[in-house]
Amino acid sequence: MEKGIFEIFGVMSMEPDEIRVGVVRIEGTNCEDETVRAFRMLGVFAEAVHLKQFYSDMIKDGESRSIWDYSCLVFPGGFSAGDYVRAGAIFSARAKSLLRHDLEMFIREGYPVLGICNGFQVLAELGALPGFDEDRPVSDKPEMALAINSSSRFECRQSYLKHENRGKCRFTSEYMKDEIVVFPVAHAEGKVTFPVGREKDFLNLLEENDQIVFRYVDSEGNYSDYPWNPNGSYSNIAGICNVTGNVFGLMPHPERVVNPWQHTDWMRMEREEGDGIRVFRSILKYLEKL
Amino acid sequence: MFRLILQDPEVYEIDLLGSDEAQLVKISQDLGLNLNLDEMKRIREYFRKIGRNPTDIELQSLGQAWSEHCCYKSSKYYLKKYLLGFRPGYVISTSDDAGVVEFDEEHAYVVAFESHNHPSAIEPYGGAATGIGGILRDVVCMGAQPVALADPLFFGNPDTERERLPRGTKHPLYLLSGVVAGIRDYGNRVGIPTVAGMVFFDESYLTNCLVNVGCVGIVRKENIIPSRVGGTGEIIILAGGATGRDGIHGVTFASAELDEKSEEESRGAVQLGDPIMKEPLIHACLEAVENGLVSGMKDLGGGGLSGAVGEMSLAGNCGAEVWLEKVHLKEEGMKPWEIWISESQERMLLSVRPQHVDEVLYIFSKWDVPARIIGVTTEDRRLRVYWEGRLIYDMDIEFVSAGVEYCRDYRVEKRGSEGEDEVRDFGNYEEIIMRMLSHPNVASKEWIVRQYDHEVRASTILKPLQGVIGFETHGDAAVIRPTESMKGIAITADVNPWMTSVDPFWGSASSFDEMVRNLVAVNSHPHSFVDCLNFGNPEKPERMGEFVESVKALGWMSKEFGIPVVSGNVSFYNETPYGAIAPTPSLIGIGILDDIRDAISSEFKREGSAVILVGETRAEFGGSLYSKVTGIESLSVPKTDPERLKNYADAMLSAFRSFRIFACHDVSMGGIAVALAEMAFGARFGFEASLKDFVELFSESNTRWIVEIDERDALDFIDFMSERGCRAEKIGVTGGDVLDYGITSLELDAAEEKWRKGFSRFLG
Amino acid sequence: MKYTVDVLISLKKGVLDAEGEATKKALRLLGYKNVERVSSMKVFRIELNAKSREDAEKMLREMCDRMLANPVIQDYEIRWVG
Repeated sequence: MEKGIFEIFGVMSMEPDEIRVGVVRIEGTNCEDETVRAFRMLGVFAEAVHLKQFYSDMIKDGESRSIWDYSCLVFPGGFSAGDYVRAGAIFSARAKSLLRHDLEMFIREGYPVLGICNGFQVLAELGALPGFDEDRPVSDKPEMALAINSSSRFECRQSYLKHENRGKCRFTSEYMKDEIVVFPVAHAEGKVTFPVGREKDFLNLLEENDQIVFRYVDSEGNYSDYPWNPNGSYSNIAGICNVTGNVFGLMPHPERVVNPWQHTDWMRMEREEGDGIRVFRSILKYLEKL
Repeated sequence: MFRLILQDPEVYEIDLLGSDEAQLVKISQDLGLNLNLDEMKRIREYFRKIGRNPTDIELQSLGQAWSEHCCYKSSKYYLKKYLLGFRPGYVISTSDDAGVVEFDEEHAYVVAFESHNHPSAIEPYGGAATGIGGILRDVVCMGAQPVALADPLFFGNPDTERERLPRGTKHPLYLLSGVVAGIRDYGNRVGIPTVAGMVFFDESYLTNCLVNVGCVGIVRKENIIPSRVGGTGEIIILAGGATGRDGIHGVTFASAELDEKSEEESRGAVQLGDPIMKEPLIHACLEAVENGLVSGMKDLGGGGLSGAVGEMSLAGNCGAEVWLEKVHLKEEGMKPWEIWISESQERMLLSVRPQHVDEVLYIFSKWDVPARIIGVTTEDRRLRVYWEGRLIYDMDIEFVSAGVEYCRDYRVEKRGSEGEDEVRDFGNYEEIIMRMLSHPNVASKEWIVRQYDHEVRASTILKPLQGVIGFETHGDAAVIRPTESMKGIAITADVNPWMTSVDPFWGSASSFDEMVRNLVAVNSHPHSFVDCLNFGNPEKPERMGEFVESVKALGWMSKEFGIPVVSGNVSFYNETPYGAIAPTPSLIGIGILDDIRDAISSEFKREGSAVILVGETRAEFGGSLYSKVTGIESLSVPKTDPERLKNYADAMLSAFRSFRIFACHDVSMGGIAVALAEMAFGARFGFEASLKDFVELFSESNTRWIVEIDERDALDFIDFMSERGCRAEKIGVTGGDVLDYGITSLELDAAEEKWRKGFSRFLG
Repeated sequence: MKYTVDVLISLKKGVLDAEGEATKKALRLLGYKNVERVSSMKVFRIELNAKSREDAEKMLREMCDRMLANPVIQDYEIRWVG
């Protein structure tokens, strides 16, 4: 095991009842309810918190919040600010101008930050992913993009994902290496894109650092094209984490498959639980184990 | 004739009292009121009694309130006579914008269904998007959280040659792409899953496409908000987007036939939506409701403030005073009448007790949603509108809201007698089945369904596409889990316009039968339904005849089968000089499942299991796909009988409790031939059946299902059904890579390819 | 001084323009076989006050960097209107 950052910064481990999850919303985010529900299913405190509650004077005392009230932050799915300008661009610009310093500290101290779908777009726009620089967890400019799907259409379908992380990612410790799971995707801008001409370098670095978490595969587990790779992502990448493993973004929606009957094929295939619940359980294990 | 009584902004008084008949007609035209001479004379009478002339804002308000769209003047006589009135104890309310029905001890579900036809024909993207916005508001204003959308769409044939398009008509594929994009962008952005619907192509929709949108919501019973003010002295708050000129005269526009010129003239009547205002508006309204701060709430639909303030006050047995200059505007220079009747989107009217006003305004500002106090409720049942202290509108609400009612003449046209049926066996089954599977009304709608986020909210248990991942097939109904309990709601959208155009009565009865079949197929108990009745010009007796026949059939089926219609909408004037639409009473059916884990999907599950046909097959081909594909005329639209349907539905549902059913699919368009193929496509294996003739293959007789069950249970199942007076017979077994019907057989892969591409081939 | 500018956001060379491609296909289906290339672009018309044109340009570039464009896939161009 490599040395966890918590040992360096000395953040203490938490009891389950000390864990507080904040799912950050603004106008247009729309998956916060089911994301909150996924955490609550596991018995921890989770709430949706409006970005305004972090800074605005008009908010009543009882409703104002600080980042440090939470032990985990989630940027949920949806269409924040209508996805106008570019998916996630407005949300991330607002968050960056208000919270960059706190957010960087939060990440450096090892707290987990998760971005699902639109949340992944926000983290990419924010410069928190791919997050190669341990000391500057939020880069000045975005270093990747989630471009319009190759099909040029919004796609809602359940996708097969292969878990390829070797242990770095704090959000998938409960999945086995090379395990294949099914999460739904639902987006129009989800194509993982790296700077033109430098894709290979990025890929090598991501692989070297163990930052690749999920890749799209077909029903046999092989890398494949559309529709198995629903958006045309480079190298079939569905989700990546930052270099320290505590920021994780993915286009597919684990919060939509926390129960067996949320899978399309639940009548064809017996499952004890939904494939996505272990993302949330991994987060809690990580916080408890610190 | 017009006298300026207020300079800035302009308000005119109109000399109605001194006008003769010709002048009355001219006034109606000049102001775009769309009121006929009799209606104008009634208005003159009213003002003669008061002893003054009306202002422009008063007349515009009447034009809105008395439009077909707002007061159902042509339809309500027949709706009351035939359709409405059946109300079992579990129906909580049907009087407002949406029906409210008991779901469980703590919750009610809310359903609303509306047409957005004319705006979508002019500007498909904006028209459809605002349709979604409007239907969401109808549900939210009851205090409910929307949980699902359903949208039946109707267009001209996709292969229509462009040269053949009548002037001013847009191509069906252009309309379809725009409508789907509008629903997608709005529904996905507000985060409400689109889970059900249908797409139907027919020549009669070429110049009149139909866009019907439905929404289901869930509410705790104590949070149900009526669309009325709570009493005198309440504060009226207008919340949401700014008011602009968009949508001015949308209502009168929806109540007249479209013609070639409509496009240019009506652009201003199509509203523009903003889903990113709507999403926080929903949150803010529901938060205010949750905190017990709201006495009444109503969305600003057709007629804008004019309709909402009046109806809400009257329903609360009050009057109101409105300070129109308080309304916040999108553009400068709007005249008071424009503000009063504007149909700008994303607005909600709330009635709040004075002590709650601050808290309500705080909630809206927290969500960055503008909210303004614009008036107060009063004791008398009058509505007074002021502009900076100057009274510019003063009428009895009852006079405005009661509207007019017609008992229009109708004529039922007999389309030949049943002896003239041309149906015969054309042989060539393999090719006919291939043509059926690739017919755009049958073929896979995956191209559309996947553009809608049908899983947001994570509660869609039975999705619109079901089966092996990557190879899904169509389901019969979607199932939603609206609360934390295991109880579920099934949703289906149905109508068969080919049948209704041959015979409006039996076609409508068949549509009802299909709706029930779909609900039963997923193992839900049919509970209620809503209708969106789309017809041609009601001033023509033969169109009115279609409407009356359809309403009669739906009323009969509803009352005898025993499920109520809880809300609905009538859309007339779907007619152009090129013709009227096929009678289109689209239905959304709601079923209840005690446990969502009991839901049954449509695709086969196991090779080697028994395939059983439930129900009776007769040679009924009127309006069938077989008649369309072979080009024959058939007048015998499938019959049905509500009592028999009830008996079958009950027997099926109790069989589902007693046996383990692998799959179930209703038999509808294309008969057993299509039903079996669809069940196979989602499973990736075929079947071996023993069908004997073209009637068994293609008949579209009602009240039939295909059931897949373990071979060992097959006989018991058949006995179980026959003990209950229902026919069931084993017609085959599952397995293999062939669709073997007995009398003919097809390669699974080739057939599937036809079905998967039959619709998407038009869209690339 | 008040300035009006159009900020054009386009895709970088080498980035697949799915929207442009789909539009090209649709136009050709409509019968415009002579359409060879369609590129999608986004335009923001911005009216702003600034001390000078240079000052305005500096601010606009900052806006592009901070929000309007993602440098990984997009280029931007500032065009002065009127």
